[in-house]
Amino acid sequence: MTERPLLVGAVAYTPNVVPIWEGIRDYFRDSPAEMDFVLFSNYARQVDSLLEGAIDIAWNTNLAWVRTVMRTDGACRALAMRDTDLTFSTVFVTRPGSGLRDIADLKGRRLALGSRDSAQAAIMPVQFLRGAGLGESDVELLRINSDLGKHGDTGRSELDAIRALLDDRADAAALGITTWESIGRDELMPGALEAFWQSPTYCHCNFTAMDKLPVERTDPWVEHLLAMDWDNPDHRRILELEGLRQWRRPDLDGYASLFQAVEDQKIPAQW
Amino acid sequence: MVTSVVLDLVEQIGAKSIGSTVEVLLRPGDADTVAAWCERTGNELMSATDGRAVVRRGRRPAPTDALAELPAGQRPGARLWIYTNFDCNLACDYCCARSSPTAPRRAIGVDRTRQLIAEAADAGVLEVFLTGGEPFLLPDLDLLVGACVAKLPTTMLTNGMLFRGTRLAMLRRMPREGLTLQISLDSATPELHDRHRGAGTWQRAVDGIGIAQAEGFCIRVAATVTRDEVDAGAQSAFHAMLDAMGVARENQIVRQVAQRGFATDGLALTVETLLPEVTVTADGIFWHPVGADHLDQLVTRALFPLRAAIDEVTRRFADYRRTVTTGAEAFPCA
Repeated sequence: MTERPLLVGAVAYTPNVVPIWEGIRDYFRDSPAEMDFVLFSNYARQVDSLLEGAIDIAWNTNLAWVRTVMRTDGACRALAMRDTDLTFSTVFVTRPGSGLRDIADLKGRRLALGSRDSAQAAIMPVQFLRGAGLGESDVELLRINSDLGKHGDTGRSELDAIRALLDDRADAAALGITTWESIGRDELMPGALEAFWQSPTYCHCNFTAMDKLPVERTDPWVEHLLAMDWDNPDHRRILELEGLRQWRRPDLDGYASLFQAVEDQKIPAQW
Repeated sequence: MVTSVVLDLVEQIGAKSIGSTVEVLLRPGDADTVAAWCERTGNELMSATDGRAVVRRGRRPAPTDALAELPAGQRPGARLWIYTNFDCNLACDYCCARSSPTAPRRAIGVDRTRQLIAEAADAGVLEVFLTGGEPFLLPDLDLLVGACVAKLPTTMLTNGMLFRGTRLAMLRRMPREGLTLQISLDSATPELHDRHRGAGTWQRAVDGIGIAQAEGFCIRVAATVTRDEVDAGAQSAFHAMLDAMGVARENQIVRQVAQRGFATDGLALTVETLLPEVTVTADGIFWHPVGADHLDQLVTRALFPLRAAIDEVTRRFADYRRTVTTGAEAFPCA
C-alpha cells in the first residue's frame, strides 16, 4: 500500500509562503518521500496540530521548537534547518550620537522591543540584558506587540521599534539580524541608525517531527531536502524565497540560550 | 525623516507576493535611498516620480530572459532604420510617414548618418534600412549610402522612379556589394498600384526595377496592400511577374497597409503590439518605422548615444512581454 505523503505545516506570515511551499512540494514530487503542506495562522495552532498528529512535520520558529520540546518532554526531534538559522543573532541599534557603545550602556535608557513572542526581538534581548547585569528595572522597556502569534516572522514589530527609536520614544531598539539586513544595515541611510552591540549567534527555525514518526519516513525526506542545490535555477528560486543557500542538519546546541531564556523569564509553554 | 521610507518599504513589500507592487511616498532625498534598497534586496524600482515610488517585489528577470525566445534578427536593435528624409515625389494614400512633395524635408544628413552607423556597429546592429520620403531626392545620397555600406549590410527603400540624369549617375556611384534596393511595386498590373500611388507610377516603377537590375544591384520588390486587396490570384500574378523579371522569391515581399499616416484603414499597430525596430529620424528615435511620424512611438529626441535608445527600447519591450505573461497568469478561465 502506498503511504500517504508527509504533511508539513507552516505558518502563513506572508503571501509568498504559498509559492515557497508549492515549490517545495513540487520538488518532492516523485521523490522517495512525497509531501504536501498545510498553512496555519499562528505557531500555537501549528504546534497543537503537530502534537495531535494532524501534521507530520512542523516548520517551527525557535520558540515553537522550545515549546514543542517543553510540551512533549523532549519526545520530538529537529530534522533540518536553513544555513541562516545556524547563525542568527540580535542587533541593538541606536541613533548616532546617543552615547551608547555597549549593551551595558543601556542602564537607565529606553529600549524598544518587538513582539513578546519574538525570540530575536524580545525574549533573547531581555536575556542579553540579564547577561550584562541589567534587570527589567534597570532599563525602560518599550514593548511593541504587533503580529502576535507569528513569533516575529513578519518583522513588523521590529520596524515599529525602529520607528519608536527614530521618533525619540526609545534610545535603542533590538532587532533580529534579518531585519537589520533588510533595511540595509547602516549603509543605506548614513547617519540615521547604527549598531552598537551584536549578540552571540543562536539558532532559529527548524523542521520538527514527533519521535513517533518513524525515521524510515523522515530520513528519505531529510536526505532529499538536503539535496536542494543553489546552482539549480529551479531550486534556487525556492531557496531565495525562503532565505537560505543550503539546508543543513540541526545544531541543537544553538537553542541552549533560548531554552535558558524561556526558563529564566518564565515564558509559558503555551499562550 | 530619511529612514521612514525604507521601513515603509520593508513592511509593505513583506506583505506582498512576488510580482506585486507597492507605492511609497518620497521625501526629498528618498529616491536614491529607495533605489539603493531595491538594488540591495533584489526588488525592482518601477518608477520614482511625483513624490511616489513604485516598487515591485522580487527580482526582475533580465531583459535578455524576456527576449530569449526571439530569433537574433528580431531582437531590438538588430535592425536599424534611418529616415533619410520625409519629402517625396509621390503622395501615396497609405503612406505611414505622411510623405509628399509638400512635406518638409527633415533630412538626417551625411554627418549624422556616419555617426549613427559607427555607433550602430558598436551596439550590435546587424543591418541598416534607409527609407523616407524618397531618398533619391537627396543630392548627396550616394555619400550617405556609402557611409552605411562601409560598416553594415544596407537596404534602401525607394519608389525606383527617379533613375535618370544626375540621379542615375548617383545610383551608379553606389556600391553593389552590401547594398540592396527595395523598390515599391504593389501589383502585377497598373490598376491597383496606380490607384494608391498615382497614375503612371506602376510603369515607371517597373522601369526602375529594370534599370537597377541592369546596373548590377541586388533588387527586392515590396508590395503594400490592404486586407481586401490580398487574394490568392493577385498574389500569384504578382509573384509570377517578378519571377519573370528575375527577382528571387526571397526578395518578393507582400505586406499589409498599416493604419498610420495617410492610411485610414489597415492594421492597427501600437508599441505594445509591434516588435520594435529602432528607427532614427531627424526628429528623434522611434519604436518602429511605421510610427516614425507619430509621437506615440517616440522613444527619445536624443539621437546620440544610439546605444542608450536601443537599451531603452529593449527595456520597454521586455516590460511589455512580461506584462503579457503576467496578464495571462492573472486571468484563469475558471
